[in-house]
Amino acid sequence: MRAMGGAMLRLWRHPLLAPLNDAYAWERIGRLLRGDFSLTGVRATVVAVEQHQPDLKSIWLRPNRRFRGFLPGQHVALELTVIGVQQTRCFSCSQAPRADGLIRLTIKRQPGGAVSTAAHRLEVGQAVGLSQAQGHFTPPPGDQPLLLISAGSGVTPMLAIVQELAEAASSRSVALIHCGNGGNGIACADELRSLAERWPGLQLHLYDSSASGRLRSEQIAACVPDWQQRYAMVCGPEGFMAMVRQHYAERPKQLQQEHFGYAAAPVSDDAPLHTVRLGQPEQVFTAAAGQSLLDAARAAGMQPRYGCGKGICRSCQCRKRSGSVRNLLTGAISGNGEELIQLCISTPLSALQLDAQATGAAR
Amino acid sequence: MSSKAHLDPQSLDALARDLDQLRASVNDDIGERDARHIKRVRGAAQAAAISGRGLLMFGFGPISWVLGVLSLATAKIVENMEIGHNVMHGQYDWMNDPTLSSQSYEWDIVCDGDHWRHSHNVEHHDHTNIVGKDHDYGYGMLRLTETQRWSPWNLLQPLWYLLLAINFQWGVAIHDIKIGRYLKGRMSKAEFRQRMRPFLRKAGRQLFKDYVLFPALAFWQWPRVLLGNLLANLIRNLWTNAIIFCGHFTTDAHIYSREEVRNESRGQWYLRQIQGSSNLEGGRWFHLLSGHLSHQIEHHLFPDLPAPRYAQIAPKVREICARYGIHYNTGGFWKQYFGVLARMARHALPTKPRIASQSA
Repeated sequence: MRAMGGAMLRLWRHPLLAPLNDAYAWERIGRLLRGDFSLTGVRATVVAVEQHQPDLKSIWLRPNRRFRGFLPGQHVALELTVIGVQQTRCFSCSQAPRADGLIRLTIKRQPGGAVSTAAHRLEVGQAVGLSQAQGHFTPPPGDQPLLLISAGSGVTPMLAIVQELAEAASSRSVALIHCGNGGNGIACADELRSLAERWPGLQLHLYDSSASGRLRSEQIAACVPDWQQRYAMVCGPEGFMAMVRQHYAERPKQLQQEHFGYAAAPVSDDAPLHTVRLGQPEQVFTAAAGQSLLDAARAAGMQPRYGCGKGICRSCQCRKRSGSVRNLLTGAISGNGEELIQLCISTPLSALQLDAQATGAAR
Repeated sequence: MSSKAHLDPQSLDALARDLDQLRASVNDDIGERDARHIKRVRGAAQAAAISGRGLLMFGFGPISWVLGVLSLATAKIVENMEIGHNVMHGQYDWMNDPTLSSQSYEWDIVCDGDHWRHSHNVEHHDHTNIVGKDHDYGYGMLRLTETQRWSPWNLLQPLWYLLLAINFQWGVAIHDIKIGRYLKGRMSKAEFRQRMRPFLRKAGRQLFKDYVLFPALAFWQWPRVLLGNLLANLIRNLWTNAIIFCGHFTTDAHIYSREEVRNESRGQWYLRQIQGSSNLEGGRWFHLLSGHLSHQIEHHLFPDLPAPRYAQIAPKVREICARYGIHYNTGGFWKQYFGVLARMARHALPTKPRIASQSA
């Protein structure tokens, strides 16, 4: 029966049946009726919006049936169209999985952040694109006590993890150190306090960095004396994570990290060589700032596909996963995220991760 | 016929700077409006295709047939020209939408997308109007300038042209296979086979769709659908051919030799794009149905600028041309198209190259 289903599916997807089997075309039609209609990926409808602080909002989403669920600590990529550009950003689910399937994303508006600003403008009833749950930032199974360390909106995966354990009335011991900048109140502090009241397994340490300065490494040990016995998970801004990494320098295996919001890599004049990783299996080469990626790749003995070499034909185009480039023709500087770039007119401003070039018609 | 403008190196650099600046001035404004445009056009083309095919398959009577044909032909024209051609230039890559990505888009025509990306985006757009390098110049069968070698075969040129126009999608489809090179023994059989494969695959799919699948889905109405599809494809062929020929073969569109473009600067490249292209004048709908190739000059200057922007920058391009004394080749459809036909007829005869000072 399953084999037959598979064969039917293959037949249906056969290119000879185009355009009848063009899933994207059907999706566009279906979306006229239901915003979250999808045949290819997950979509979700906004069902509620909660404002925690002026720049911190929670969006409650009802994903469609294609969503396969998530584990506490995992994140999803939220896809929004901002000024015509399809953008995705990852946000941790900030609520343990619920019976009704709703997921909550708690999003901090970044100054100048186009996507987080657009997310804050979402209204109930709107539909958005979503990815399946991703990431391995989940507590290890078993009973080992945990130490969760977060700052700012880094608390979001912690909320889901703690909630899940609290609801199961787990006997696991969890210590949570959460830092916030007191100006706006500490993110989600009330929610954490009520969790700590409900569930004795949670040892909560709220840390107000506006009153007592940034959290220092010694304070971790002072708050949680048995930290060495605990498995630690950390999520927060890059500087904060660096401090925690330093603290765990001798026990790296005991620490799990979740990064968010990478800062744009500065352009360095004294070290103008940048590492470029391309494709899978990965090929690595270096490119100097000012040199086109195409020239650099060819100088390294690689054979990327290319055409005109002057930014017209797009033969050399490939998808950039991370890192920032400057367009040699327009001088435009790209963001750090995913986008399509042309190798012949892009020069690196930071280390880059690129996908292999597309091999043509993939529909 | 206007003569080619020759600029000194300083003016050429200034021209390049002015045009780069013009491009930069629109760049920042590209966004929501352009995204909305392409999505709306795509929705409209899809609606036209569905209603056209629906009328052909399930309608009855001659009126529904004619409406069905017109609707499907419009859908194919818009999909090929305003969506396919422009998307494959990368005009909408910035949207990050995988269904509008230049590298993976596949269009409703027998020409394979990858072949097009090479023969059009690389060869034609970089080597515009360089005789011998731009294979779009005469499509390997038409003689449009004195410097092309004449053969008695050219006497029947008007007839060859008629056949090409009727079968234009096939002309475009076999373009990048370079059959001529194989016939002259300048391509190995293995390479030829490899070049044929994508063409055969795409052509098979298109033929199956228009002449087997959709007719079969209409059961006893199949002849209606088959004939309707044939006619819709024909209308699309004639229209796209007329528009495309008006782009580079009009009376005042200049040609270049390989020697002329050796070590070409960016300014010279821009100048060649302007002098090798010609525009058509018309209303908003005319521009849309031509895929904005009616703004061929602007398109050749900035092939990856979202097409509706061409109309916006056209007055400025015109003004820049006037400033540098470059002829801005534009006119109504019939004037330009008759120019093309006259040129074709003239060079069917063994015309002689004119004095060097004028053709250089």
